[in-house]
Amino acid sequence: MVANVTRVNPKLIHELEKYGAQDVQNCYHCGNCSAVCPHADEYFVFPRKSMRMLQMGLEKRIEASLEPWLCYYCGQCSTGCPRGAEPGETMMSLRRWLTSRYDFTGISRLFYRSWKAEAVVLVVVALLAALGFLIFGFSQGSIHHYDGEQAFLPSASIHIFDWGMAAVLVVLLLINSIRMWWFTTGGNPRIRPKLGTYLKALYQLPLQFFTQKEYARCGERQPWLVHLALMLGYVSMLVLIMFFLHGMQAGPEIRWRFHGVGYLASAGLLFGVLVAVIGRIRKSAPHVAHSHESDWLFLGMLLIVTVTGIVQHVLHRAGAAMAANLAYVVHLSLVVPMLLLEVPFGKWSHMVYRPLACYLAAVHRETLARQRSSAAQGEQVTADRRLAAA
Amino acid sequence: MARVGVFIGQFDSHSTIAFDSLASYAANLRAVEKVRLLGLRPKVDVKTLAEEIRRERLDRIVLAGDSPGHFKPAFTRAMQLAGGDPAEVRLASFREHGASSSEATDRAKAILACAVHGVPYPLVAVPKPTVVNPATLVIGGGVAGIQTALEIADAGKKVILVERSGTIGGHMAMFDKTFPTLDCAACILTPKMVAVAEHDMIELLTNSEVVGVTGNPGAYRVEIRRHARRVDEAACVACNVCTDICPISVLSEFDQGLTHRKAIYIPFPQAVPNAYLVDPEACLWVQSEGKRCGACAKKCPKECIDLAEEDRTVTFDVGTIVLATGYDLLDARKVERYGYGKYPNVLTALEFERITNASGPTGGKIVVKSKVANRRLKTDEWLATSDGAAPRSVAIIHCVGSRDANYNPYCSRVCCMYSLKFAHLVREKLPDATCYEFYIDMRAFGKGYEEFMERIKAEGAHVVRGRTAEVSEVDGRLVVKGEDIVQDRLVQYPVDLVILAVGLVPSAGTAELATLLGVPRDQDGWFSELNYNSEPTYTERGGVFVAGVCQGPKDIPDTVAQASAVAAGVLRSISSGRGVSDLSSLALSEIEARAMQMAAGKPQEATHGR
Repeated sequence: MVANVTRVNPKLIHELEKYGAQDVQNCYHCGNCSAVCPHADEYFVFPRKSMRMLQMGLEKRIEASLEPWLCYYCGQCSTGCPRGAEPGETMMSLRRWLTSRYDFTGISRLFYRSWKAEAVVLVVVALLAALGFLIFGFSQGSIHHYDGEQAFLPSASIHIFDWGMAAVLVVLLLINSIRMWWFTTGGNPRIRPKLGTYLKALYQLPLQFFTQKEYARCGERQPWLVHLALMLGYVSMLVLIMFFLHGMQAGPEIRWRFHGVGYLASAGLLFGVLVAVIGRIRKSAPHVAHSHESDWLFLGMLLIVTVTGIVQHVLHRAGAAMAANLAYVVHLSLVVPMLLLEVPFGKWSHMVYRPLACYLAAVHRETLARQRSSAAQGEQVTADRRLAAA
Repeated sequence: MARVGVFIGQFDSHSTIAFDSLASYAANLRAVEKVRLLGLRPKVDVKTLAEEIRRERLDRIVLAGDSPGHFKPAFTRAMQLAGGDPAEVRLASFREHGASSSEATDRAKAILACAVHGVPYPLVAVPKPTVVNPATLVIGGGVAGIQTALEIADAGKKVILVERSGTIGGHMAMFDKTFPTLDCAACILTPKMVAVAEHDMIELLTNSEVVGVTGNPGAYRVEIRRHARRVDEAACVACNVCTDICPISVLSEFDQGLTHRKAIYIPFPQAVPNAYLVDPEACLWVQSEGKRCGACAKKCPKECIDLAEEDRTVTFDVGTIVLATGYDLLDARKVERYGYGKYPNVLTALEFERITNASGPTGGKIVVKSKVANRRLKTDEWLATSDGAAPRSVAIIHCVGSRDANYNPYCSRVCCMYSLKFAHLVREKLPDATCYEFYIDMRAFGKGYEEFMERIKAEGAHVVRGRTAEVSEVDGRLVVKGEDIVQDRLVQYPVDLVILAVGLVPSAGTAELATLLGVPRDQDGWFSELNYNSEPTYTERGGVFVAGVCQGPKDIPDTVAQASAVAAGVLRSISSGRGVSDLSSLALSEIEARAMQMAAGKPQEATHGR
């Protein structure tokens, strides 16, 4: 049967180097990493197995694996690795590689392999967005008005624009998520889940999205709390902007109903980003000791967007409408490339892939348990028959 | 003619070589295009270097200095980058070729000239025909030192065998069985030990250390510090009266701290010399400067105890020196994840050897340690006693601190096989006990080793491929956790005893001895042999040989083989009378001329032989 032939891609390990995995070849399979990993269990034994698949070039098997998404990079594996093979960084690189695999457009692959291409596209999109917002602003409003009738960028129009962009992102992410499901589960001959299993595990999606409780199982809790602050800040801000943009923009008085939440969200975002940036500069822990170019681009954009968002808000409250408008244009023209490029094609896609992977992992676990027990029963039946025949 | 670049590093701040004079000498050699002084702590950047090589169109590089080999890889890479032949990176090793005496600079020039001409210095220089003192100093009384001493002494030459501890025998005397034959180690070793003690040609100095070496190959003068034994070796009949009466108990070094010994003691019953010795750190009389105790001296029927004896230094003239200093185990506490030192029943390999040894603290019964109250210190101690409980399951963990970038990068070479031996001993003595063996790669490379491994597997030991990640204690029982990479699953086994196959490191004092003798060490700290393949027993220093593990981890058969080979080398140099010279007989101009001749391909009379 041709279908059972395993395809080997001997260049896979070299391809992964571009995504950040430099030392996979060092691994001599002692299994130390899998045994210390707080996330490895009887169904998902990693990271050593992923290292093995990489060394052997089993591209399809890796494409079908959920393991990289079950790793939250506490780095215990890398610290204890006797060969300096950096299993933690390998899992990180595999997440980048999988992101590029799920992405049907090929843009993700381009960005991860060339940060220059990513930077150029970023700048071009940002400039185009800035141009668009300026033309739009001057065509219908006055730069001296931040809100009200003559507002330079009236919230109603921006609102429509936001929803349009959201629709694009949702479609892209949805397609990529379906591809992820197909690679790992739907088209995976080793796993045949029942519909009931899918339904039963559904609660995992919101649970993992909002609590990231798996992350908390890594030895230290601090990285989880920082990540949670960042994520909650981001999500709150998203909700505020998508549903309450008018309230956010109205001023100049402070409306605590909206702005209170906004301040908290900004603080969470700023805190999370700063901790991440400082950690990566100091290389203070295994998970921030290696930084891919795409990490810096992402963090840089997030930092600028957060800061310009805060600045335009402060300027508006201070009554400097023109300065506030300019800051707002800078803010928006960076938000557009950040969301358009990072959410479906970059690091941010993990906000969908990670909960989805946790959900699918739950599905896999139950299915595997069922398949294993029925296989064991099958063996028992055969043994009984043999016994009876004898 | 080759275009040669000379890079001179000072490396050693105590060097007596005049580097400026050396540099101008090198610059005046005809083939030399470029001379650069690298300074004391050079930073070598491969890319810049390659650029330099390309610019100067160099096709040979001479890297000169005291032990310059450390920088060779960088230069080789640079040469490759520049498109040159990496084999043309040549070393001029001053210290190794003896350029450390008063005429150091001249010697360094000669070594440099040979490297520039691309011929090995040892082939150009002629050993000075000297009268070799036929006496030999052997440092270290383990199986390697014993074997070398016996071979040389049996040939009728005088041997001085120096041993740091109170008895010869070394680690092998602690072992129960040898692999793969499962012979009784003591049955092989103790006759040899006794032969050493009784040999007319061997002067055995235990409790002694080499503290000074002067002179030249063929005529070394060594100073040996003889620590006071405080018991007359010749008179003592090992009647045990002194030990019986001694009030002080301390943990026994020979038994790896598993049981007690007295302050006046014999390390083990078959010790050679078969005489007691006093541990001055523990002895009440010594510590109180004669005010207290002294019971043993009063009771000794042979009146051979002199508690006031002092250390003294003796001097010997020898022709050759043999290093056989062996190894220590890596401190297992450093590998924190296995909990050695934290959990009493996590043992090192040597501790298990003592427990399973018929002459050990438990009489060969495999037991878990028991908690015993020490009344004098008012503390609890974990000791191995013969009434201890037998373990129901045992885990043996390979590669502890070996093949690990965080500890020793090298393979310690003996652990796989002795671990299999342990599995056999556990299964033999406790047939109901479960035995898990965790390994990464099984290194069964010797004659009969592979078959030994298959045999142990067939005997029912669970051989798990995968390293143990950690040892923890759950409900009072040790739990080992790891990944079985063959079965593709995580495993957790509760066990009663964990044996760590701890790797080998050079024994304490190796660095000092290397400095004393001018013998280089390799990156892992073992003594460097002259040539790994063809001269594994010689060192860069003339008249100094290496035998056994101090040259690199090896098992007993290899150690004994190398020790005998050393004896052959020593005897050759004694009988030929010229093998041990440090190649210093020719003047600089002669060496230059010979090197040039050799480089031009003219035949030379065979001069090799150190």
